[in-house]
Amino acid sequence: MTVRRIIVEPRGLASLRLTLTVPLLSVLAALVIGGVFLWITGDNPFTVYGHMVDAAFGSSRGVSETLISATPLILTGLAAALAFKMLVWNIGAEGQFLLGAIVAAGIAIAMGDTIPAVLAAPVVIVAGAVGGALWAAISAFPRVYLGTNEIITTLMLNFIALNLMNYLIFGSSSPWRDPLVSTFPTGRPIPDAASLPRFFNRLDVGIFIAIAVAVFAWYLVNRTRWGFEVRVVGDSPETARYAGIQVPRKILGVFLLSGAFAGLAGALFVAGPVGALDPRSLDLGLGFTGIIVAALARLNALAVIPVAILMGALNNAGPSLQSIGVPPEIVTMLQGAILIFAVGGEFFIANRLRRPELPPDVLATGAAA
Amino acid sequence: MNDSQLILTIVAAIGLGTPLIFATVGEIITERAGILNLGVQGTMLVGAVTGFWATFQTGSLTLGILASLLAGAAFSVIHAFASITLRVSQIVSGLALTIFGTGLASFLGKAGSDPLVGEPARDQFDAIISGGIADWPVVGPLIFGHDILVYVAWIAAGAASYYLFRTRMGLSLRAVGEDPASAESAGVNVAWVRYVHVMAGGALAGLGGAYYPLALVPTWQDNPIGAAGWIAIALVILASWRPWRALFAAYLFGAAARIQFTLQTLGEPWSSIPATILAMIPFVLAIIAMIALTSGKRARFLGAPAALGIPYFREQR
Repeated sequence: MTVRRIIVEPRGLASLRLTLTVPLLSVLAALVIGGVFLWITGDNPFTVYGHMVDAAFGSSRGVSETLISATPLILTGLAAALAFKMLVWNIGAEGQFLLGAIVAAGIAIAMGDTIPAVLAAPVVIVAGAVGGALWAAISAFPRVYLGTNEIITTLMLNFIALNLMNYLIFGSSSPWRDPLVSTFPTGRPIPDAASLPRFFNRLDVGIFIAIAVAVFAWYLVNRTRWGFEVRVVGDSPETARYAGIQVPRKILGVFLLSGAFAGLAGALFVAGPVGALDPRSLDLGLGFTGIIVAALARLNALAVIPVAILMGALNNAGPSLQSIGVPPEIVTMLQGAILIFAVGGEFFIANRLRRPELPPDVLATGAAA
Repeated sequence: MNDSQLILTIVAAIGLGTPLIFATVGEIITERAGILNLGVQGTMLVGAVTGFWATFQTGSLTLGILASLLAGAAFSVIHAFASITLRVSQIVSGLALTIFGTGLASFLGKAGSDPLVGEPARDQFDAIISGGIADWPVVGPLIFGHDILVYVAWIAAGAASYYLFRTRMGLSLRAVGEDPASAESAGVNVAWVRYVHVMAGGALAGLGGAYYPLALVPTWQDNPIGAAGWIAIALVILASWRPWRALFAAYLFGAAARIQFTLQTLGEPWSSIPATILAMIPFVLAIIAMIALTSGKRARFLGAPAALGIPYFREQR
């Protein structure tokens, strides 16, 4: 018998069912991989996963904390989704997030309680978005005007931003640092006027801002001329150039907007649950997790919302695992595995697999046998 | 004289640069095949935890190093499969590898009833020559006073350079990275060449990772490698995809990582520069070098493999 190779053909538009099935299977496959490692290291995966579901959704406090964790992930997810859609490889949401947090906390502390809350909170939030956009600009302008590889520059800027935050809190007596705490330095609490109002346990209105931005981003990409041009550039920069689209300006715009989303995430996190420039609460890898959110949401701005809630649930459940003696890093592992399967799954969404059709004589003998 | 700050700094730079050489040479080999692997950071961490664990279990450094090489190669197969067979985005696949590897290494270091974290290494790499020529002025500490892996790194850079530019297989490798379709029609199995070199690169990254807990700081701590994997990816470009240049680029960054200790010995005002500011230096250096080297017309002379990062479809010939 001859070996029949599998033929791979590009698929046109994949069905909705398939585009939903692949991400779901990615999550399931990642849980299996995580389960194997849990089992090897002596834990019952079902107990651990059950504990995680309970921590993330089992109580009203769990649900509110999950949504708190999801809020910045919606925005860093949008930052990655928008940029990746146009093949702008902004890997720097992490740094842009931190700059948003630094600028937002700085403005909030500088304004103090002199400005009424209706004004102060919006100013702080917008300032954070601008901070993120400016940090992205350091990579965006060389990329557009000099052709400098943005993957490396955005990555390196993550570490510079992290050290900048650490400098402001641990390395100096900056206005960001709490002057009342001397033993182990932390951030100065932002004034009440700049803090976002809470409505459900610790959950604040930041979640609505994040959802509104997701809807805005979806509309922008799918329903406006600007978004159409962005998608054309993403599909084929050559076509875009021939069609008269100003590609450099598009790249610049997408890059800065992507940075603004990440910066906004940092601002909302500072003005909401964290309430200060606290390195221990901000250095969580939320920028990188945003890339996972974007990939699993297949770069769709609306799909980013439920995926961010799933990732937020994982992040929220992680620390609670210490009480049953499981390292919380299982969460990073699961998220990494989810991304591996999600990106691998793109192959099955883009391609159709089939057996080659057999020549008629083989079919005839096959039928005879 | 051998205790002068300059000598001590250079010696420290060589130590800190050694794992960067392994990772950078590995990534050069991978990228020469046309595959961009952003999973270096994760692969180094998996190599580090595996190597440390193997030495911890057996007491043998040789087995630790072998384990780190195997773990690095095996781990990078994930990226090879995604980027070569499935032909999905190499950038996202590499990032996935790093996130997974970072979590996996941390998890394995902390899991179980008797976790590795905080345990000292059962054995560690020390200078292979003590006294004698290792005490000679200047050349003693700079050339003869190192552990075996420092010399292995020199050999690795030299061997990789020879392999790339002086052997038939190296020629095939470069052809695959420059123009896979032509290489295929000349009888080269593109997919096979790419798989092998992604795995070779992963093995070297794993070895580089293991250098941290087995030589530099002989204990297991969470993320012992800092951001070395990311630095290595920048070093590939600074070395313009040439292994010999990686040697010098890695030592330069080793020196940059060491600078805060050196400045502290120089007294005021140098010693008052905050550590957090000095920690930025390698990253600022990488950005400046990136902009200076890869911008505009200069990029063309740098020597990036032409097919780097582009999935190869055999059917499209």
